[in-house]
Amino acid sequence: MKQNNMLAMILAGGRGSRLHDLTKKVAKPAVSYGGKYRIIDFPLSNCANSGIDVVGVLTQYESILLNSYVAAGRRWGLDAKDSGVYVLPPREKSDANLDVYRGTADAISQNIDFIDTYSPEYLLVLSGDHIYKMNYAKMLAYHKECNADATIAVIEVPMKEASRFGIMNTDESTGRIVEFEEKPEHPKSNLASMGIYIFNWKQLRKMLTADMKNPDSSHDFGKDIIPTMLNNGGNLYAYKFKGYWKDVGTIDSLWEANMDLLDKNNELDLNDSTWKIYTEDVTALPQYVGAAAVIDRAFITQGCVIDGEVKNSVLFTGSKVAPGAKVIDSVLMPGAEVAEGAVVTRALVADGIKIGKNAVVGSAGSENIELVAKRVKGDE
Amino acid sequence: MSKAFGIINFAGNHIRVDGLQSFRPVGAFSFLGRYRTIDFPISNMSNSGIDYIQVYVRQKPRSLTEHLGTGRHYNINSKRGNLQILYAEHNQIGDVYSTDIAAYMENMDCIEDIAFPYVVIAPSYMIYTADYSEFLKDHIESGADITMMYHSVDNAKEAFLNCNTLNINKQKGVLSIEPNHGNAKNRNIFMDTYVMSKELFIDLVKKAHKMSSMYTFFDIINEECTELDIRAMSHRGYFAAIADFNSYYQANMDLIDLKHASDLFDDKWPIYTRTNDSCPTQYFEGSKVTSSVISNGCLIEGTVENSILGRGCTIKPGAVVRNCVVSADVTIGRGVHAENLVIDKHARLVRGKRVIAAPEKPGYIKRGDAL
Repeated sequence: MKQNNMLAMILAGGRGSRLHDLTKKVAKPAVSYGGKYRIIDFPLSNCANSGIDVVGVLTQYESILLNSYVAAGRRWGLDAKDSGVYVLPPREKSDANLDVYRGTADAISQNIDFIDTYSPEYLLVLSGDHIYKMNYAKMLAYHKECNADATIAVIEVPMKEASRFGIMNTDESTGRIVEFEEKPEHPKSNLASMGIYIFNWKQLRKMLTADMKNPDSSHDFGKDIIPTMLNNGGNLYAYKFKGYWKDVGTIDSLWEANMDLLDKNNELDLNDSTWKIYTEDVTALPQYVGAAAVIDRAFITQGCVIDGEVKNSVLFTGSKVAPGAKVIDSVLMPGAEVAEGAVVTRALVADGIKIGKNAVVGSAGSENIELVAKRVKGDE
Repeated sequence: MSKAFGIINFAGNHIRVDGLQSFRPVGAFSFLGRYRTIDFPISNMSNSGIDYIQVYVRQKPRSLTEHLGTGRHYNINSKRGNLQILYAEHNQIGDVYSTDIAAYMENMDCIEDIAFPYVVIAPSYMIYTADYSEFLKDHIESGADITMMYHSVDNAKEAFLNCNTLNINKQKGVLSIEPNHGNAKNRNIFMDTYVMSKELFIDLVKKAHKMSSMYTFFDIINEECTELDIRAMSHRGYFAAIADFNSYYQANMDLIDLKHASDLFDDKWPIYTRTNDSCPTQYFEGSKVTSSVISNGCLIEGTVENSILGRGCTIKPGAVVRNCVVSADVTIGRGVHAENLVIDKHARLVRGKRVIAAPEKPGYIKRGDAL
């Protein structure tokens, strides 16, 4: 709290059911990305790099792995005195029964007691399943400069895709939000909400207390809290973000976000030493590249053993490509193994899955990326 | 929890690694890209349940203390455990007064205070894995005063020349310790690794200190060979001593072969090191990498053959790196051919297009140097 009087709450309850088998056992924020990371490393590292000391992580769906993962706040350097990462699943309280989080706003409402122990001046609300690098301190400075009641980060999206997002219509000279439309059929602007909000905590606290008692509310920031603030004539500002931002909702978009890392000067730039993304420290060996290996355009991490051919692909911790195997336009998640002579094309091979000898998975012309979540038998 | 505490000793005056050692002690040498040599003895101790560890440092402590930090990354219990970094006043390499005995005497308070009844001593310049809990158990069961670890080699004529050898009888009793003069191929190379009671250790240190100011711990043991019951225990698996420049180069190169590396590394015996939070390595179009060990955070556009790359190296288009051991954050510029070299941290090979040493005499590029 000492640094900027802002506490962050990360909404990490989403199931991500369109990621199918990848989120069968883990929540979407815990899904692996970029060779060695999990998606939630991004908001957590952003918080640490922005000088935020206290982060609450609101979990709900399949949260065992996620809980233990984020509880090790040391990984992101969030373990100093008066600093910490707190896992906040729904709890039974003395004055309320155990209840699931009914919406994004409700998740915060149910943790008012937690936030009050730090009595922050500002509250930052984030989503746990987006991939981007952002300095929240700059957004807070903008929030203060505008004397705003709430500030919402927005990103310009192509106009033809705008109807898939929550769109902010702003006064162009001031950046003040005049209207919010959830997935509008005929969008008036292309400024999409990134689901990143800064509120003045005292003011939001009052609104949340009222919202909890409102039987007609769906207890959601986008659907209830923001529209109410706008109707009441509040000062809401849009903070324009420029840079890489991705919501990986589907197998195709998760694959694509991984492929983005192969570009030479890709916008996410994970190699930037001034804004590192921190993650779990593993004890695996460095990458072993064999005598017959062919590697052309790849993003490969520690623990991988490559004896075959890897082209246009991303290999996660401990994945293995045997001699004579080919991995093309694909993603191998942690511990995935491709045996001799097997060919993997346009596929995403899930954690620890083995592709047997001479097996063929995926195809070059496929419309969608093939998710391989079960062992593929090969020649024995 | 172990009954022993650990001591990691610095490399004595008989160890001399040209080039690299001018910048840091051997324990802080980059090894196989992502490690430092000292990660091996500390991980051995940590994996053996020893979590009270003293690391002795003499010259140029910066990179070593930075790497060790609080020791948390070595998986040592953060409350009951302790990683102590201890300095010696006489800290010049080659100074006759700069002995391990002098360092132990200066820090005797810190040794006497320790509540563990045994001590395991290991060097910072040797690469091996060993379970010290077995070592300690065998020592206690044998009733010996001291047990020393050795590795039998058949290339002592050309390798391990700065190391010492154990002369042992059939009952594995140590008769004497001698320098390796390189006149026989089969030798028992002493691994500078001992176990004994803390009490005996302190007695020997004090005795050595009285006898001669230039005595090392090894000298006093040698002197006491006839008085004490000293046994030898053989070690199996991978073993390398970083005793001079060539052995440093060779030890790294040997481990490019995953079969050799499997003798050293075992999933159940992790080697811990300090994370640098580097992102994965990017292989661009046109890159050609074969028979190599690559750390994270590299950007590769050129050719890398039979080499080791440390973290965060940049290999530009048309560059060729062959038979090289490359430390972290090195840049090999466009069209530069680098062969048979040890390239130290932050070096930039950009202007000179051919930097090629003879295979039998690998070259050294200084830390931070621009060529």
